[in-house]
Amino acid sequence: MATRRTFLKLTAAASLAAPSIASAQASGRVVVVGGGFGGATAARTLKALEPKLTVTLVEPNPVFTACPFSNNVLAALREISQQQFGYDGVQKTGVLLAQTAATAVDASGKTVTLGDGSKLPYDRLVLSPGIDINWGALPGYDEAAAEKMPHAWKAGAQTVLLRQQLQAMDDGGLVVISSPANPFRCPPGPYERASLIAYWLKIWKPKSKLLILDSKDTFSKQRLFQNAWAQLYPGLIEWVSLSQGGKVTAVDPASLTVVTDFARHKAAVANIIPPQKAGTIAQKAGVADRTGWCPVEPVAFESTLQPAIHVLGDSAIMGGMPKSAFAANAQAKVCAAAIVELLAGRKPVDPILINTCYSLVSPDYGISVAGVYRPDKGVLADIPGAGGTSPLEVVGGFRGQEALYASSWFKTITTEVFG
Amino acid sequence: MRHRLLLPVLVGALLLTSPVRAVDAGPPGASSCTGCHAAKRIPDSVIPRIAGRKASDIVQFMREYRSGAWPSSVMGRIAKGFDDQQIDAIAAWFAAQPE
Ligand SMILES: Cc1cc2nc3c(=O)[nH]c(=O)nc-3n(C[C@H](O)[C@H](O)[C@H](O)COP(=O)(O)OP(=O)(O)OC[C@H]3O[C@@H](n4cnc5c(N)ncnc54)[C@H](O)[C@@H]3O)c2cc1C
Repeated sequence: MATRRTFLKLTAAASLAAPSIASAQASGRVVVVGGGFGGATAARTLKALEPKLTVTLVEPNPVFTACPFSNNVLAALREISQQQFGYDGVQKTGVLLAQTAATAVDASGKTVTLGDGSKLPYDRLVLSPGIDINWGALPGYDEAAAEKMPHAWKAGAQTVLLRQQLQAMDDGGLVVISSPANPFRCPPGPYERASLIAYWLKIWKPKSKLLILDSKDTFSKQRLFQNAWAQLYPGLIEWVSLSQGGKVTAVDPASLTVVTDFARHKAAVANIIPPQKAGTIAQKAGVADRTGWCPVEPVAFESTLQPAIHVLGDSAIMGGMPKSAFAANAQAKVCAAAIVELLAGRKPVDPILINTCYSLVSPDYGISVAGVYRPDKGVLADIPGAGGTSPLEVVGGFRGQEALYASSWFKTITTEVFG
Repeated sequence: MRHRLLLPVLVGALLLTSPVRAVDAGPPGASSCTGCHAAKRIPDSVIPRIAGRKASDIVQFMREYRSGAWPSSVMGRIAKGFDDQQIDAIAAWFAAQPE
């Protein structure tokens, strides 16, 4: 069977070179914008499923810096270089790399404009540009403010800056983390960050305190985090919820002051995780709605606003699925398979997707949340009875085991995406 | 004399492993699994690979995770999202993948 299929593929590939069926080739151009967890996965999966497709990945950075495990970099448990991955592995699969930013999309003419002004035609376009900061949504917080009060919500220079600020801080200083309202990238991320900074403070600056000012009343894996904080870092972390006045309403970068309706907090280090939106190219392509995020149908993740444009990962509104690297990777594989079906004139079958997000409360204390999703009434919905968080009460080495699973997951997924 | 017979076989083998060979996407749910259960061997990973394992073993594990008969950290929560038929299809697909 494999032999027969291989033969057919070879014939198809060989005949593509012949000018007589140039039209068959024309039906197979897919452009993918964004070489992160969603986009790089989509590009290489498309090529693996249908080698005769022409797949172009558009990404300006020669090296991708991964956010998962970047909180470990803040706590000096890892170096930023361990977060970085090039695109050689992706190119080896036959994906063409356009090392530039996409600057515009013409949805009716089906072209993507590149940094040099040239236009790349597509039959199907995949957008996985991640998040952009919603500058202007938080008074006082602009690009210049982010150099004083880093968000570190896109890993790289911002992560290194926040780590340097923590290292330079006097013992006894106040670290403030501002956590945004939903939806945002990586729902448990701010609390994992608080945990690992607390871990580091407890060792190196034990008189310091960490204050989380939150625009929400509940958060992901909340009881697991709070129980672990009480056990591992008693008195170190204080969480102020929305109803307790935690919502940050303005910041003053000059004095490192974080303002709520009830108080002004003078920070030694201020990590502002600001409101976010879909990557800017999504707005330019006309696939983002008034929320700033991109509505999609739940089978092939095609935009409900523009035909032939698929949106993945953090940018998309994915029903019950959180904005995670695991989810972006899972969505990308489903989307790639669906695009192959659509280009062949077939209807893609309803998918099932899984998400699993690990958080580290300390280097050897891991907790997780999982979910299983399927299309239901036009959205990706949680399958009832499945998923949930790690148990509150455990015996033996359960938390240590989950910490090991976390690092194994990171190695596996980064190998699948970039290896 | 022998090498004459071998040559076409070798060429055939090369063609089979050439990048032109397509893979198939698998049944619903299968593609999510490889985020943790790697297609390739990953050094230092504590998460077991399932590619190339016996289908009946995968089915048994998934059912026992789902019922709780076999303790797990996350697999029980995930297995609860799949019915018997879906588990059978995923298991058969992984069993057919290169080990
Ligand atoms: C601190 C932190 C910890 C996290 N931990 C985890 C975790 O443990 N587990 C987990 O699953 N997730 C985690 N996440 C979330 C995860 O990083 C994101 O959900 C994931 O990166 C989303 O993938 P994506 O493809 O949507 O975007 P990204 O991975 O961000 O990729 C977007 C890519 O698009 C490119 N791009 C943007 N605009 C353009 C353009 N116009 N043209 C060309 N290219 C463009 C960017 O350069 C980038 O490479 C964490 C996030 C943070 C901030």
